Amino acid sequence: MATLTQTQFDLVDIDELHAMDGTDRDALPYGVIGLDADLVAIVYNATEAGFAGVRPERVIGAPFFENSAQCMNNFMVAQRFADEPVLDAIIPYVLTLRMRPTKVRLRLLARPDVPLRFLLIER
Amino acid sequence: MTAEPDVDEHEALLEFLYACPVGLIEIDGNGTVGIMNAHAMKHLLPLAPDGDVGDLFGTMEGCAPELRNLWQGFSAKRGMVCDGHRVSVDLGAGRGGREPLVLALTVVKLSAERGLVTITDVSQQVAHERRLRQAETWFASLIGDVNDYAVLALAPDGTVASVNASFTRQTGHLCDEVAGQPLDRVLADAARPGALCLSDQLCVAERDGWCLDESWQVRLDGTRYWCQRLFAAQVGDDGRTVTGYSVVLRDVARQGGGDTTELQRLLTCDHLTGAANRGQFRRVLEREHGRWQASGASPSLLLIDIDHFKKVNDTHGHPAGDAVLRQFADACRAKLRATDLFARIGGEEFAALLPATSADEAARVAEKLRRTAATLEVEGGHAPIRITASVGFAAMGEAGSTDALMALADQRLYQAKRGGRDRACGPELLQLA
Repeated sequence: MATLTQTQFDLVDIDELHAMDGTDRDALPYGVIGLDADLVAIVYNATEAGFAGVRPERVIGAPFFENSAQCMNNFMVAQRFADEPVLDAIIPYVLTLRMRPTKVRLRLLARPDVPLRFLLIER
Repeated sequence: MTAEPDVDEHEALLEFLYACPVGLIEIDGNGTVGIMNAHAMKHLLPLAPDGDVGDLFGTMEGCAPELRNLWQGFSAKRGMVCDGHRVSVDLGAGRGGREPLVLALTVVKLSAERGLVTITDVSQQVAHERRLRQAETWFASLIGDVNDYAVLALAPDGTVASVNASFTRQTGHLCDEVAGQPLDRVLADAARPGALCLSDQLCVAERDGWCLDESWQVRLDGTRYWCQRLFAAQVGDDGRTVTGYSVVLRDVARQGGGDTTELQRLLTCDHLTGAANRGQFRRVLEREHGRWQASGASPSLLLIDIDHFKKVNDTHGHPAGDAVLRQFADACRAKLRATDLFARIGGEEFAALLPATSADEAARVAEKLRRTAATLEVEGGHAPIRITASVGFAAMGEAGSTDALMALADQRLYQAKRGGRDRACGPELLQLA
């Protein structure tokens, strides 16, 4: 079970996200995407799958910003993962979830000693 | 058959739209966004400073103000409003060393209340075309005795240095007769209103690298022919001075309506005002930067913004606002030299790029344009509409790069706005009342 801080978009930290198992991540109230060094999706939780309307098996294993999230494939999001090894930033954003412009908050998390970068999405 | 779409099918369709490498947007009659895909958001969100992309025309206002005009001016019930219309997003160098971002927009009107827009990133294509055009200009000037092409070499002062044999075939004039003559003795000068005279065309070739024009020419025997001309400037080994010009003349059968002047206008001018568009502004800015690096001739840049323009639109309506923009642009262009470039770079924001112009001279021009705005009267129903404008100006020599020049002029424009508007701001020692 996730702890109270882990369920909070602003408070959860990258170690906790990385240590969680799939069931715990799926239970979080916000979308979680874990990316490897090539920005290929390794983690895609059930919450995010519900927001986007696409099951994890269609997203995992493919370059995330090219195949699933071109709306973030710019200097505001994808470029930051490429440029900044240490990252913990919250930015307001607009996604096209199910082709409707949808205001969200994004949290970008990265640290060199953690193998995955995390992108959190709060609707 | 079920009424509900199959879940797998629905998911496949979403996945397809997320991955589609072209932006797709559905708008209503006012430009309000209904549906859009991820690729469209990738490009639109960075253009919307407040993160609100709900109004497509509003989002594009900063770099493609003409989009609203194109949509509103399209009177047919349905059809193609624009096809691959190019929008220069970056005016200076591109972000992170990439090519400057250029988007191509296609807008289809499905009904009065519904439109479909596609957005494609064509930055690479545009860069490729630019390189190709440079190569073509070179090839054209190297062509020897091909019948269709007469080639003149000009000295830096514009007198004819030499001509090739097909020049004699095309015009009837012998080489010896024309050598040493000024160009306007050899070629007929422009008679059309608004056309550039020959000496201006050389100046434009010097500024842009090339200049394309066409007009009637008269042969020695008195017959006339429609002549396309390409002027190309040549720069010496030192990369500084213009060492001469090549002029290529083509005898072409004139085709109804579509002359190159019209084509050039479509590619380089703003739809509403006839001022240069952002694309043309970016190209000339880059070239002027290159020339400043090579020769030290610093151009000056003026950014001009009409004060409280939103109020004009709100009070008098968009058509009246459009008339203000048109007349202001016309009045400004009339005050500038043929070699200055006057461009519309945003909704009510204009730029004047003045080649080889000191800050002192730029200050005089800035003041002239400010006065032009303050004395302009545009027909507005009950009473004439009056406007003022704020100007920020800077010289390339102070800034060092195109981006820094834009930023410096913009900072001074902001200073002029903050100082009460209807004023011009430049380098500190040159502040104007």
